[in-house]
Amino acid sequence: MGRYRKTIQYIILAVVLLVGGFAIGNSLFSKSVVLTKGDKPPSFRLAGLDNQVHEWKDYEGQPLIVNFWGTFCPPCRNEMPALQKQYEKWEGQGLELIGINLSEDRLTVESFIRQVGVNFPILMDKDKRTEKAYGLKQYPTTFFIGRNGKIQEVVIGGLLTEEEIEVRVERLMKS
Amino acid sequence: MFQNTKCECGHQNPVGTVLCESCGKPLIEELLTDENAPLEMRYDGVARRSQKSNPHIVDRIWNFFSSVKIAVYLIVITLLGAALGTIFQQESTLINLTERSEFAAYYKEEHGTLGVIYHALGLSRTYESWWFITLLVMIGTSLVVCSLDRVLPLYRALSKQQIRKHLQFITRQQVVYSGDMQGDNEAWITEFGKQLKRKHYRIWQEDGALLAEKNRFSRWGPYINHIGLIIFLLAVLGRGIPAWHMDQYLALYEGETRQIPGTNYYVKNEKFTVDYYPENELANNQKGTKVVKLYETKARLFECTDVCDDPIQEPVLTEVKQHDIRVNSAMSYKGLKLYQNSFQERVRFISVHPTLMDVATGKPIGSFDLLMDDPIEKYEVGPYTLKLNDYYPDFGLDEQNRPMTKTREPNNPAFVFRIQGPNLQAKGEIYIYFPMPSEKSKFYQKLLNDSFKQRGDSQGVFSIQVENPIVDGKMNNIKYSEYTTYLNIRMDKAMPYIWVGAAISMIGLIMGFYWQHRRIWLRIDEGKLSLGGHTNKNSFGLRADVAWALGRTGIEVLPKSLDNRRNVR
Amino acid sequence: MSWWLDFSSNAFIVAFYLYCASFICFAIAVGGKRWSNRKPEDHTNRWGKIGFAAAVIGWIAHLTFFFTRWYGGGHIPTSNMYEFMTFLGMAIMFAFIVVHLIYRNMLLGAFALPLVIIIIAYASVFPSEVQPLIPALNNYWLKIHVTTAATGEAFFAVGFAAALMQLIRVVDFTRTDKAGKRAQFWTEFSLFVIIVLIGFLVAVFGFRGAGYESAFKQEVVKIDDNGVATSEIKEVKYSLPPIVAPYNSETVSFQSFLGMKEPAFESPSWLNGVNAGRKLNTVIWSVISGLVLYGVLRLIARKKLTAVINPHLADIDPEDLEEISYRAIAIGFPIFTLGALIFAMIWAEIAWSRFWGWDPKEVWALVTFLFYSAYLHLRLSRGWQGTRSAWLAVIGFLVVMFTLVGVNLVIAGLHSYAGV
Repeated sequence: MGRYRKTIQYIILAVVLLVGGFAIGNSLFSKSVVLTKGDKPPSFRLAGLDNQVHEWKDYEGQPLIVNFWGTFCPPCRNEMPALQKQYEKWEGQGLELIGINLSEDRLTVESFIRQVGVNFPILMDKDKRTEKAYGLKQYPTTFFIGRNGKIQEVVIGGLLTEEEIEVRVERLMKS
Repeated sequence: MFQNTKCECGHQNPVGTVLCESCGKPLIEELLTDENAPLEMRYDGVARRSQKSNPHIVDRIWNFFSSVKIAVYLIVITLLGAALGTIFQQESTLINLTERSEFAAYYKEEHGTLGVIYHALGLSRTYESWWFITLLVMIGTSLVVCSLDRVLPLYRALSKQQIRKHLQFITRQQVVYSGDMQGDNEAWITEFGKQLKRKHYRIWQEDGALLAEKNRFSRWGPYINHIGLIIFLLAVLGRGIPAWHMDQYLALYEGETRQIPGTNYYVKNEKFTVDYYPENELANNQKGTKVVKLYETKARLFECTDVCDDPIQEPVLTEVKQHDIRVNSAMSYKGLKLYQNSFQERVRFISVHPTLMDVATGKPIGSFDLLMDDPIEKYEVGPYTLKLNDYYPDFGLDEQNRPMTKTREPNNPAFVFRIQGPNLQAKGEIYIYFPMPSEKSKFYQKLLNDSFKQRGDSQGVFSIQVENPIVDGKMNNIKYSEYTTYLNIRMDKAMPYIWVGAAISMIGLIMGFYWQHRRIWLRIDEGKLSLGGHTNKNSFGLRADVAWALGRTGIEVLPKSLDNRRNVR
Repeated sequence: MSWWLDFSSNAFIVAFYLYCASFICFAIAVGGKRWSNRKPEDHTNRWGKIGFAAAVIGWIAHLTFFFTRWYGGGHIPTSNMYEFMTFLGMAIMFAFIVVHLIYRNMLLGAFALPLVIIIIAYASVFPSEVQPLIPALNNYWLKIHVTTAATGEAFFAVGFAAALMQLIRVVDFTRTDKAGKRAQFWTEFSLFVIIVLIGFLVAVFGFRGAGYESAFKQEVVKIDDNGVATSEIKEVKYSLPPIVAPYNSETVSFQSFLGMKEPAFESPSWLNGVNAGRKLNTVIWSVISGLVLYGVLRLIARKKLTAVINPHLADIDPEDLEEISYRAIAIGFPIFTLGALIFAMIWAEIAWSRFWGWDPKEVWALVTFLFYSAYLHLRLSRGWQGTRSAWLAVIGFLVVMFTLVGVNLVIAGLHSYAGV
């Protein structure tokens, strides 16, 4: 026993360092769900109003706007036409825009979309799952995601005007 | 300083030995000065492993954790830290707040300046803080190192004990007796041993000397306790591994099925019931208040067996378990546990069974089922086809006075139908229907249907309504949930280890505290009997044992007179 | 049903008076050695035996109270403060009887019984009616967890009584140096604290007997979990003359007392918690009546109370007391760990879905555990014996009492239903 004393001491202290480091590290870097600039957005796999499956990897690598919205939220409703106009303007240059609906009934969503005349893909969240993964606090929330697949900007609350969207889209296209 | 570690009996002791491992002679200078003072018998005087003459950095760290003084400091600091955390509520109990700024505002509002300081110091998250975890890790380390350093030498010392001990070792024990002997010494010693045997001592005899010992195993109690605590602490740390631990809340109204996020399981709230105590069972100071007797969720657990990850198709579910979940009675399936957390009284519509009426004749044409969640689009009623055009779960108007839904919940649902059939306009006629049996809804329904008629969208020949809405004072033809149940869903793979650790620790405590290691040494030198006894706890019991055995062999003594501490005074 | 409950409360009263009688016997055993012509040892033995017999019969009456209330109430009577404190008193008696049978020290009763009497008198401050169980308590672990935890704590209480005796026994009144003065002061102070407790009981029962009541309307602002503030008007009733009014309150009715017609001041806003103002008022009254009581006793004795008791303890060995104190704690420690931590964890896992949630009551049980483990380590490994370890035993019991009572009065948490 005596001969191995040193080895045993080293082993025990190393284990303590490892286990303790893990525990303390965990407490120091507890992760928060709130997404900010530079984060990689969580992936999703959702049904669209077009009855197709839409996945994050279908959009990754292109300049992308992800807009979380609901028909029950007036600012969401108000900014929809502006988003549609910007989509029409930049679509040809590779901009992707998706609206993720906040877990509403399909019928309710469909009739609103028809009314406003939106033609970018509308995805249906279920059970608020995607919404939670993106750590949403307020509606609407819009994520601007660059070609590198990382979030460039998060806008919480209504954007309202086309100009405000346009400035950001330009920045996004340049990235 | 170089210490001569060779004892006069010829035994070579390790550095740091207090009492010779073989004969028990005191080896340290300060112990030799006063020949009467009782000996310090901790760990039987053996050298603890960490005591080395020339410490290296690793040895120093090791020595730090090997010190009981440090261990006590760690315990006391942890104790104070834990107590500080109870001054105000911890953040983790405020389920609905998440942002740091929200917490800061809460503590300021609720506790004023002290609250601000408390939050700023991080005491509002004491038990998750890095310093608290560090303290726990250090206590764990101290448990390992302290125990290892003491248990091995102690084991060696106790497994090879000498029967004949150094005279000073015997006379300086906590329980002592000395006296002159007449007659056959060996016979007396044998008899004395026999008496002690009746008290369950084990006896070793050697010419003119005796060693009696009992309950040695109790010495291992503290170390077994420490092993249990280490397992316990490791298990607690194991809960930090994400796959080992899950903790979430799910709100379900009656009849709702929801997926448990992050798993392949779905849970359905079949029915929720709550019972209150009748007035006559309440105490006087509770009269007039509602005291809950029981609440339970009739729950079914499903596992998804096919098309689980397809957002287009509905998953195929297979029921795996049924249980009435109550406080104190959770549903448990393959490590997943569903607990009753709380409930809320909140009416929520599920479905309604309305009838299409002919306004002119007042006769029903037919009825159909209308769901509040994902209603289907087409209904065939008599000769008519009803197509659901619009659905507003919580009807309201937006800034431009267009109809919209105010929330996602069916608080005041409104359905817009386009009806086609005989004697109707070719494009169909528009009718709106509010199932909510309230004056306001009826008013809106009438107002909007009249406006459709004025616009020419309908001829106003139909009305949609529930027949016999109230039967026996209960709502009829309408399904709703009265309560929303809150379930706490947990998985904790570390739990078995927690219980194992706690059980081992408890066994160690009982071993260590309810039995005491007792040893009695005696030797007779030239007609003079010297007896010494030692125990780690309860010297009262040991004195009683010795006095009893002495009395049985012809030496009457009072147990108290054997106490060495008293004799010194 | 109610016949059983009536019988039960009668048994409780019998137990209380027997405990008082037992205490008087023990007091005579300690204090009256020179009254008769008998040898002092015989006197002590005789009165000690009578006292012990009274204590055992009292305890049987107490057990009768407990089991008839259990039968009559339909659930084990450990579910609110009244029931828990009476149970604790019963457990302390059990621990006292066990320790007494081991050591046969006739004088321990003179310190253990007053403790029991104070605790069950304190219990009677709370409403004694049987209340139906709320769902969270409706489980057999209520029986297991509460009874074992209280038994462990009861042994700590006996350890405390012996330690206090030891401290009074070893106080040296001839010393004038700093350390000596300090020992004299703190020992006297411990007695003073006990007298304040008695003062509290005297004040509560005195004014209750006289039917005193005043009432206030208080506006309480509450912030719910969503951060929304709502204010509500609550009526706060005082059964002691209000020296302190609740924060932000209006007088509804004020029964004047000794010419006092309105509260002297309002309780500060930072004192949170349910009925903070009333509690502060109670504390003030306890201190006042404690001071009066202490003053009267000092006037009669004309010396420090410790100095009054000290000579009567002269023929006990402090080592014996230390041994008793340590042994009681050593017996209690595993029971406490089992009941207050391990069983508590098992039940918490069953009822609340987590074995440990850092609820204030849980934390304080842990603090108690840590405190006594520090005590044991200091004693065993660092040789802290004598007065130092006695002081630890005294402080330890304060921690126990804070865990049991203080947490409920000062901090709200999941265990708050155990309040009133």
